[in-house]
Amino acid sequence: MSGSENGRGTVSVENVVKTYATGESVVHALRGVSVQVAQGDFLSIAGPSGSGKTTLLNLVGCIDAPDSGEITIGGTRVSSMNRDALAMFRRRNLGFVFQTFNLIPVLTAAENVSFALSLLGIGDREIRERTRAILAEVGLAGMENRLPSRLSGGQQQRVAVARALVKEPSIVLADEPTANLDSDTGRAILELMRSMNERHRTTFVFSTHDQMVMDFARRLLRLHDGAIASDERR
Amino acid sequence: MFLPAMAWKNLSRYRKRTIITASAIAFGLATYIFMDGWLKGAEVESERNLVLYETGSSRVLTRDYWAEHERMPLASAIEDPEPVIAALRGAGIPAAPRTLFAGEAVVEEGSMPVRVIAIDTERDEQVFSFRETVTEGRYLEAGEPGALLGAWLAQDLGLAVGDPLTVTTRTRSGFHQTLDLEVVGILNCPNPAINKGTLFMPLDTADALMEMEGAVTEIDLKYRDYRTAEKVNAGLAAGTLAAFPSLTVVSWKDLAADYLAISATKKGGSNVMLLLVFIIAAVGVSNTMLMTIYERIRELGMMRALGMRDRDIRRVFLLEAGGIGLIGSVAGVGLGCIANWAMVRWGIDFSAFMDMSEMDIGYRISAVMHAAWNPPVIVVALVAGVLACVVVAVFPVRRALRLQITDCLRHT
Repeated sequence: MSGSENGRGTVSVENVVKTYATGESVVHALRGVSVQVAQGDFLSIAGPSGSGKTTLLNLVGCIDAPDSGEITIGGTRVSSMNRDALAMFRRRNLGFVFQTFNLIPVLTAAENVSFALSLLGIGDREIRERTRAILAEVGLAGMENRLPSRLSGGQQQRVAVARALVKEPSIVLADEPTANLDSDTGRAILELMRSMNERHRTTFVFSTHDQMVMDFARRLLRLHDGAIASDERR
Repeated sequence: MFLPAMAWKNLSRYRKRTIITASAIAFGLATYIFMDGWLKGAEVESERNLVLYETGSSRVLTRDYWAEHERMPLASAIEDPEPVIAALRGAGIPAAPRTLFAGEAVVEEGSMPVRVIAIDTERDEQVFSFRETVTEGRYLEAGEPGALLGAWLAQDLGLAVGDPLTVTTRTRSGFHQTLDLEVVGILNCPNPAINKGTLFMPLDTADALMEMEGAVTEIDLKYRDYRTAEKVNAGLAAGTLAAFPSLTVVSWKDLAADYLAISATKKGGSNVMLLLVFIIAAVGVSNTMLMTIYERIRELGMMRALGMRDRDIRRVFLLEAGGIGLIGSVAGVGLGCIANWAMVRWGIDFSAFMDMSEMDIGYRISAVMHAAWNPPVIVVALVAGVLACVVVAVFPVRRALRLQITDCLRHT
């Protein structure tokens, strides 16, 4: 069963402020942003460089903390959690797809995927079955034992998607998932993620400046200078 | 099992780096074990040579003589040694009477100070082992005006077997005396202190010439295990020797206190040197661990993003460091033991490289130096090798974990 069927995939961002100090100057990455993400949303956060899209994605992904404001995911207020609690929350509820794939080079495709399940303390047999199933679902059946170096960029990103989805998270966060892929491969990855979104009702949140990703999104949130410029549903 | 398995995979993943780091540890530990075995060998052999050729297990002397033993005062000799020797033999302890005095060996070219030890030619062999060290001529016979010289002393004096030798000294009464002796043998024993400046002569001959009238300066004892000397001495003082209140019994450690103090100082210095070897290896490992961790910052960020807690990550890296330490330590201990085994078995003969008679390194050892086994050090080296690796990894891991996850993911 998907972890996204009981409202755990909802996100509430309330008046979030985030600033960074770079030397003597202060960068206002987010200036009181508020946004609600519904269960099963396929949301793309777009905007020019420095607009705050990656910052917002990181805050929703619980890998960064806001200066002020509140973030609630699936009814849990994550903005006040400590490091360990956040780690456990991410482990159980969130999946990540990174721009540079971030696969562990010495682990096979299957091992990279099962890594996420191992953290959950699931038995070996179940890990094997779920890993095999998700790799087949992302089109990598028969490539389970390949090292990342023997996979193309698109295939590596598929492994990363499988790794994000195998634990059936309520939300998958993807930072520029197509940036290192050619357009055909990027499209294939986006189709894969959208089909996963439709099949499992998993909430997907992207940060991107790729027009193709924006076109694929069912909801497009545009940021400019740390504030929401537009919020468009398709 | 997941975390150890991951740590193990990481070790095999960077095989070259693992091998290089483990080799540094192995080299450090092997050197440590080898050097320590060598020092231990010098110490064991030195003790053995002290007891076998210089001090015996213990020595009975008058309390007055012991108080001034460095001056070798003949006036404070044991007047009637035989009842003491009989009592000791009754207690099952081999005992040999000796008289020790200082003299000046006079040869054509000049003179040289010597230490004369007058020995009971039969009973001395029950305590000491000089007969087998005679390399030229023969061992002493009772009643003869013969002299047995240490090899280096004979060389310094330019004497050979059959040559006459004059020794000037003072008798027990304080009168000048000239001892006209003939060199009957030359010995080369593993104790350089004996080789260098000692002259042996028969006790009965010395007794007459030195006006000792049956007195001897010491009675040397041999125990089954010289390392128990203090314990046996305490028993003797309370039992067998209680009937001789003017006498005292001192152990080889008391007699060799100067040597032991120097040896302890040298050992301290050597340990500092060994510690430095260890520190150099540890710094190498620390540097490698630092590089290992920093080149995997992005991966560390990914693992944290996926939900690994700091303590899990710390455990993986420390297990990895411990794994490198274990590989290096096992290899180092193995290499060290092989090298030590060769040194125990064959040793190294330094006589080809240096003139041992010109070199006093304090230790009572011969030119062929052998190592000894020191099991506690081997165990400590093994454990310390692993622990040191874990400890040096703590700091870089902690630093890496202080970084924000977002900074880790951006790291290039």
